[in-house]
Amino acid sequence: MITYAYYPGCVAQESGKELDNTTKFIAKKLDINLIPMPEASCCGGGVIDGFDENLKLFINGRTLALAEKKGLDIMTVCNTCTLTLSEVNEELINNAESLEKTNAYLAQIGLKYSGKVKVKHLLYAIRDDVGFDNLKQKAVRSLRGVRIAPFYGCHILRPSSIVKFDDVENPRGLEELIKVLEGEPVSYVRRTKCCGFQTILVNEAASTSLAGNAIFEAQEKEADVMVTPCPLCHLSLDTYQTVAAKNINKKLSLPIIHLPQLIGVALGGDYAEMGFSRHNISLRSVMAKIRQNEI
Amino acid sequence: MEFKVKVYRFNPEFDDKPYYKDYVLEDFPGMTVLNALISIKSEIDGTLSFRRSCRSAICGSCAMKINGISKLACKTQVGPEIEKFGIIKIDPLSNMPIIRDLVVEQEGFFDKIKEIQPYLMGKSNVGEHADDFHALKEGEKITQPVFFKSEFRNLTGNNDTPNCILCECCYSECGGVTGNKDYLGPAALAKLYRYSEDPRDNDKNGTRLVNGSKPNRMWDCVHCQACEEFCPKGISPVKSIVKLHEKAIKNSINFSNGAKHIISIAKSIGETGGLDEIKVALDTGGITGLISDLPMAFGAGLKGKIPPIRLKLIKDMEDIRLAYKILDLEEK
Repeated sequence: MITYAYYPGCVAQESGKELDNTTKFIAKKLDINLIPMPEASCCGGGVIDGFDENLKLFINGRTLALAEKKGLDIMTVCNTCTLTLSEVNEELINNAESLEKTNAYLAQIGLKYSGKVKVKHLLYAIRDDVGFDNLKQKAVRSLRGVRIAPFYGCHILRPSSIVKFDDVENPRGLEELIKVLEGEPVSYVRRTKCCGFQTILVNEAASTSLAGNAIFEAQEKEADVMVTPCPLCHLSLDTYQTVAAKNINKKLSLPIIHLPQLIGVALGGDYAEMGFSRHNISLRSVMAKIRQNEI
Repeated sequence: MEFKVKVYRFNPEFDDKPYYKDYVLEDFPGMTVLNALISIKSEIDGTLSFRRSCRSAICGSCAMKINGISKLACKTQVGPEIEKFGIIKIDPLSNMPIIRDLVVEQEGFFDKIKEIQPYLMGKSNVGEHADDFHALKEGEKITQPVFFKSEFRNLTGNNDTPNCILCECCYSECGGVTGNKDYLGPAALAKLYRYSEDPRDNDKNGTRLVNGSKPNRMWDCVHCQACEEFCPKGISPVKSIVKLHEKAIKNSINFSNGAKHIISIAKSIGETGGLDEIKVALDTGGITGLISDLPMAFGAGLKGKIPPIRLKLIKDMEDIRLAYKILDLEEK
């Protein structure tokens, strides 16, 4: 059994609870032991260094130190949490001055960080630690005939000097996973582009046009569903899809699924328990397509 | 080894719409994509148009999209591209109008560079640099360099921004510009940071930061990290933009929604340890923003996607409060 310190991030614990629940479900199925981190704080949403660079170091250094104390690597289900924790980890490992000032703070709360923790995203934890072969063996439902558009999101790929999971120019992680589950990956240009989430409250029209155009392109390529490993991308792509459609003046209606939900389907999960009814764009068409394989 | 080059072609004088033309070439060790294009132009098809000059990754002329990514053709070797993609597919840069084939209209990009006033303003009268910057009189020799890199590195703590060659790779890859054509983009904002940090610059009233905080400027960065990832000179404009954010907030230039957004996130973490989705949305967009998003929020609510009205404090919340206290951020 593989054990991780589990860092779900804020959205998975608030509006996107279906992501957290489904992650726990697939972890059980795949023999992954997730140790909760009730003391962990928000990573700062990818923007906290714009408020104070040291605050980013301190709060994320604390999260890393909490995992190190447990002797565990961290597993996340959010791209932005993955990048932020990885950035701070790299900084603390490579910059003695940053490590010293962070440890001076950590000493006051009974913690210390020495740089032993690795930060992994669920997608690559499954690829590298669980193994796609293992996943394939445990799959009980086939996604045969389902055309799935992978949407990576930025922070799981870039900057590749920090997040080193995949080939930044031509990532394959999601496509390989889709194939393992017998689905059909849809090839489209915007699969590695930005969803615009970070400015959704600043410039909604510009922000949602990014998500909208990615959805439109995937629709044009006859995708049945789009899968994303990031809850922030999911908010842009699903929750704001109607707003995006209006802003780019196109008809959009593409179901967007969280990565663990896609895996959960293959592992025989119950649609209701996996929160399929919590999406803005209904997943009914996808469920119908999957059911065809069960007849 | 033979390889295929697929090139975007469009001549508005003759073509109704763009098309791709394939060329087959023979490679040689170390052959660059620019070598390939020059071969095509001189030996196969003289009508192909593209910009190039130095062939040494310093003039920035030959930026184009190679297998979907903005790169300098002179710095990109054919071999690894063929190994990864099996083909060399070439398109003009994105986010700019196309004049012909691989030649794009650069005026919009340079207008945005001009907009940030990329020069030292006035004469500085503070500190050790007080007399460094002045126009040379006839016959006067340079005794103190007006600008040299090692000094700038010390001045700004950022050792890469001056290496920008204005090749537009970052601009072409920028998610912010893709979504909003009026957004200044990474190269211009990195320059804004460089000038706002220069102690020789006589910007006493923080006008650079105030102007930079207006719509379509520093707060419209989508943090996609593409500018850092794809800069052929290893520069990170996004890091400069984040520095601008921090500098603006520390100087209480908080009128933009972007600044309000970050302050609200920081406040939420300081109070609860978590990110209060409702409060952050309200603090950023105000009542108007909330009203305009009501139908969307109502739809999400119907599906049960409602964040908690009041966040539960994380365990050991006093640890986080201590971080704010040490960093003197409690009142901000």
